[in-house]
Amino acid sequence: MNQKKRQIQFHTKASLVIYFLKGSLRYFVLSILFASIVSLADLMNPKIIEYTVDSVIGREPLAAPGFVQKLVNGAGGVSFFRSHLWLVALLVLGIALLGAVCRYLFMLFDSLGAETFVQKTRDSLFAHIVRLPYAWHSENHTGDIIQRCTSDVETIKLFISEQLMSLFRVVLLIVMSLVFMMRIHTGLALAEAFFIPVMVLSSVFFHNKVGAAFEKVDREEGKLSSIAQENLTGVRVVRAFGREQFEQERFMRQNAGYTDLWYHLQFILASFWTSGNVYATVRNLVVTVLGVLFCVNGSLTAGGFIAFLSYNALISLPVRGLGRVITEMSKAEISIDRLRYIMNAEEEQETEIRGTGEEVSGINAGPDSFTYDCFRGDIVFSHVSFTYPGRDHEILHDVSFTAPAGKTLGILGATGSGKTTLLSLLNRLYELPDLTEADGTGVPEYRGSITIGGTDIRDIPLPVLRRQIGMVLQEPYLFSRSLADNIGIACDSVTQQELDRAASVACLDETIDHMARGYDTFVGERGVTLSGGQRQRAAIAQMLVRHTPVMIFDDALSAVDAETDAKIRQAMKEQIGDATVLLVSHRITTLIHADEIIVLEAGKIAERGTHEELLAAGGIYTRVYELQTREA
Amino acid sequence: MNKKLPLFGIPKLMPFIRPYGKKLIFMIGLGILSSLADTIFPLFNSYAIDHFIAQRTTRGIVYFVLLYLGLMVLQELDNFYCLYQCGKVELSIDRDLRNAAFNHLQTLSFSYFNQHSVGYIHARVMSDTAKIGELVAWRMMDVVWNVSYIACVLMMMLSLNARLAFYVMILVPVAVAVILFFERKLVGLYHQIREINAKITGNFNEGITGARSIKVLAIEEKITDEFRYDTARMRKTSVNTTHQAAMLTSVVTLLSSAALSMVLWRGGWITIQGVLKIGTLSVFMSYAVGVLEPIHSIITTLSTLISIQVNIDRLMHLLEEVSDVADTKEVQEIYGDSFHPDRKNWEPLNGDVSFRDVTFRYPDGDEYVLEHFNLEVPQGTNVAIVGETGAGKSTLVNLVCRFYEPTEGQVLIDGKDARSRSLLWLHSNIGYVLQTPHLFSGTVRENLRYGKPDASDQEIWQALKAVSADFVVEKMKHGLDTEVGEGGDMLSTGEKQLLSFARALLADPRILVLDEATASIDTVTEKAIQDAIATIIRGRTSFVIAHRLSTVVGADTILVVRDGKITEHGTHRELMQTRGYYYSLYRQQIEGSDWHDL
Repeated sequence: MNQKKRQIQFHTKASLVIYFLKGSLRYFVLSILFASIVSLADLMNPKIIEYTVDSVIGREPLAAPGFVQKLVNGAGGVSFFRSHLWLVALLVLGIALLGAVCRYLFMLFDSLGAETFVQKTRDSLFAHIVRLPYAWHSENHTGDIIQRCTSDVETIKLFISEQLMSLFRVVLLIVMSLVFMMRIHTGLALAEAFFIPVMVLSSVFFHNKVGAAFEKVDREEGKLSSIAQENLTGVRVVRAFGREQFEQERFMRQNAGYTDLWYHLQFILASFWTSGNVYATVRNLVVTVLGVLFCVNGSLTAGGFIAFLSYNALISLPVRGLGRVITEMSKAEISIDRLRYIMNAEEEQETEIRGTGEEVSGINAGPDSFTYDCFRGDIVFSHVSFTYPGRDHEILHDVSFTAPAGKTLGILGATGSGKTTLLSLLNRLYELPDLTEADGTGVPEYRGSITIGGTDIRDIPLPVLRRQIGMVLQEPYLFSRSLADNIGIACDSVTQQELDRAASVACLDETIDHMARGYDTFVGERGVTLSGGQRQRAAIAQMLVRHTPVMIFDDALSAVDAETDAKIRQAMKEQIGDATVLLVSHRITTLIHADEIIVLEAGKIAERGTHEELLAAGGIYTRVYELQTREA
Repeated sequence: MNKKLPLFGIPKLMPFIRPYGKKLIFMIGLGILSSLADTIFPLFNSYAIDHFIAQRTTRGIVYFVLLYLGLMVLQELDNFYCLYQCGKVELSIDRDLRNAAFNHLQTLSFSYFNQHSVGYIHARVMSDTAKIGELVAWRMMDVVWNVSYIACVLMMMLSLNARLAFYVMILVPVAVAVILFFERKLVGLYHQIREINAKITGNFNEGITGARSIKVLAIEEKITDEFRYDTARMRKTSVNTTHQAAMLTSVVTLLSSAALSMVLWRGGWITIQGVLKIGTLSVFMSYAVGVLEPIHSIITTLSTLISIQVNIDRLMHLLEEVSDVADTKEVQEIYGDSFHPDRKNWEPLNGDVSFRDVTFRYPDGDEYVLEHFNLEVPQGTNVAIVGETGAGKSTLVNLVCRFYEPTEGQVLIDGKDARSRSLLWLHSNIGYVLQTPHLFSGTVRENLRYGKPDASDQEIWQALKAVSADFVVEKMKHGLDTEVGEGGDMLSTGEKQLLSFARALLADPRILVLDEATASIDTVTEKAIQDAIATIIRGRTSFVIAHRLSTVVGADTILVVRDGKITEHGTHRELMQTRGYYYSLYRQQIEGSDWHDL
């Protein structure tokens, strides 16, 4: 079997975060660096004001450290500054300017970090998701996955760029300002320090309470939102059963309950904010009174007092934010785990083709290196049985057939007979299980094989396989871009000539002519602006421009009327050339000219042969044929 | 849509604000008091410096502390009340707006729902309302506090020292100009970010819902590259936004420091000369530092107000939308309205339906889809409506249900114009089964009872048996108490279909409207559905938008719709003989049908 590309597994939350942080960590480091300069600048100014108030404006001796003393004396002593007070003001402004520049840089780098982080995370998620096997996509809800890729990513980003960063900054600020305060007055600084743990703890307490209340409110909001959603999507049912009153009562009841819960939360929040204010004011009072006492007994100067008050104001807000970091952490942890679920899902085999030559090189080439020539050979299904993962109903039972190279094979079958499953196995949307993986009953269970030109499809790198097999789905998905971009989406470049030819074969040219913007018409999300038939024809054109050696039509003209169907089939004959074609349809007229037709029923081949042979046999095919052609 | 509303649309919101008007005015008063207290607190520090410290005394410090604590208690009571009440007012306005929007939606006609997507309407009910409540309560309080704080500080500074106050005040217009300059840029940038964000979410959606096509086409690389383009653009725009926001923040703090240094320079000078006391200088410094931030906050609020215009506008459009199908006053007086039905005046409905010279055009269309159409449907008749997808098969059904009203002519129910009785009366007598069955989250029982709230379990089981849906419920773990999930997610399409039949049957309507499903369903359920349809239309006037041969062939009357118009009608035999459009349609239906019909 093929070697698979080693995919990183994230065994811990930290490993995932570290992986996503690649490329953004340095910005965060720079941000913290500048943040600390900002703190320093913020702390410097009160110090300058202290000296100014005490010694320049007042008459205290200068109590500054040695180097400042030297500087001041060199300039001409305190009296020089007294007559040139603008110099002090300029110094304050200069330091503020340094602070402003660094504040700008710290915010910018934080944003660079955050955005780089988000970019890397989203890119990794997207690239990973499109490479996950189709089975994974069928198992998971679209809404849930999108939720993870958007709001969970946002939660983690905010936690890192705001909560975690502010944790660093605040701790730094507290430590530095305590040092500054200590130098002014030890006793007062200790009184100040006493308040910090109290505030942090109360903040943690409240945030925990708020967090729990928020969860409850969130759930109720979800319920309210779904009531509205269901009422709107089911508006016909509501009206037809005349249940407006019931709906109204239901919505208003939930709305009232939800609002009451919010009232309660609002009460907690208001208490928290108020208590925060009380702490800050009380702290200010304690510092003021103690400061006064220390000033009166002479251990503190007026300037020192003023500086102290500034420091006090500086740290009060950030400290209150600390509690939030701790409570947000649990939210972020949940989000990280939700992303880990996606990132740890196993990708399909390597989807990049290495090398461009005929020979596929690199780790993906199977043990028996294949050549592109194989796609010109027969497609052989040999004893294929298949059960969808996680189900117990076997959908295909021992199916064998050959689609000879260059010929057209028709497949007729009712809904649920296994047609689409056959095709999904051929281009490996679902994998045939390996022999070795068969159930452990000891009896080797034969699950069959599919080969193209003699090469087992499991030995062909996935992208090669899928690029050589053109397939039109019954419900093709168009991407939100222009019609031309949609038709050429699987090609590197398409000329206008090729576009025109494909469109004309697919009977899309008239439609395009009718559109105001022609090929540049934007098809909207999932191609909503086009009708089902137009989408199918666009998908046919999309396949034709690829010139693949194998072409598959999975009931690809079901939404096209019989007349157009015939026209397209006629035009396509020349386009197909020597490609091998698999044609699945409900309509016998579509299959009539196939070289061989197989009739699938309940996962088994019930009949096979040419149109004439099948008619002669007088089985299901004949019955369907009669119904579809009989005169009333 | 984008026309400017006068006064930011606030007058239109008045009916929702008025109930809380007194409270809001009271809170404005309290907000002013609180900002006054904030202006007074620095004076304590200045008194401490000039009195206690300068005179080296602790005399009167007890009163000082008591006064301080007293003011604090008052202010915090004030704050707490404001914060709590402000939140409550916000939430109450949100709630009232949501109720109003939701209730109004229950009365709007289907043309509104056809013109607006569910997602769009849902956003009006849930998110626009929330934004408006926040604006009215919090933003208003914010502005009140900030404006009065600035006013108090300016007055205080003027009274302390007019000259020094002047030096601080000359910085105010500079700050306003700078903030306006950046805010203008930021509004546009925030808008861009939201747009790119929506694009990225759309990309995720495409990558997930389009997984099959992406794999079949092997375009993982290409799609991923395009995704990267958008995330890169997102990064660039976000960082650019932060660049502007950070400039703004830095400049505002720098200006605050400029005010501080101005006070230090000029104030220091006059303090040296003895004109000013040191305490007063310190109070000036704290005012100078704090006066610019509130300006920033006011301007941010203004830009929020501008960006919220759209939300107010859209919500008001919804609330002012007039239903084009509504009961007249006279009818309402007898029958009651949709929320307060007067059931004692309701007469029973027999099920005769007739179209009298009906001409109809959809309100948003410009072509007549029915012109002088006449049809008698005596009670108990089964009418099948056939035609291609999108041909307009639902038009008749919409008229019978009075989801739309004829442009000209009349639809008679039991011989009387449908408009002469209430919508609710009609709807209570009509059963409607949708092509895509819609269940509500809740238990199976709740869903089945939707059309008959007082149905007993026995009746429910009877209805389930009648449509052979009993096996579906029996195999469920909790039977009737099983939760069906949002939109009935936990059930298969076939199961939902059967349950919606049982729901319709339980309501025992005289007229039944049924839109047959085209979706492919497994063989066993398909057979059950066929039988169920035969059961529920028996003995009732029924209109079936038919996709199944058995339903069409067995109908009393077949209406053939082509390009929105009824082109043929008659029995199957009659129509086949004319060899018209029905004939070719019938052939096509056979081709497209599943084989169980054969």
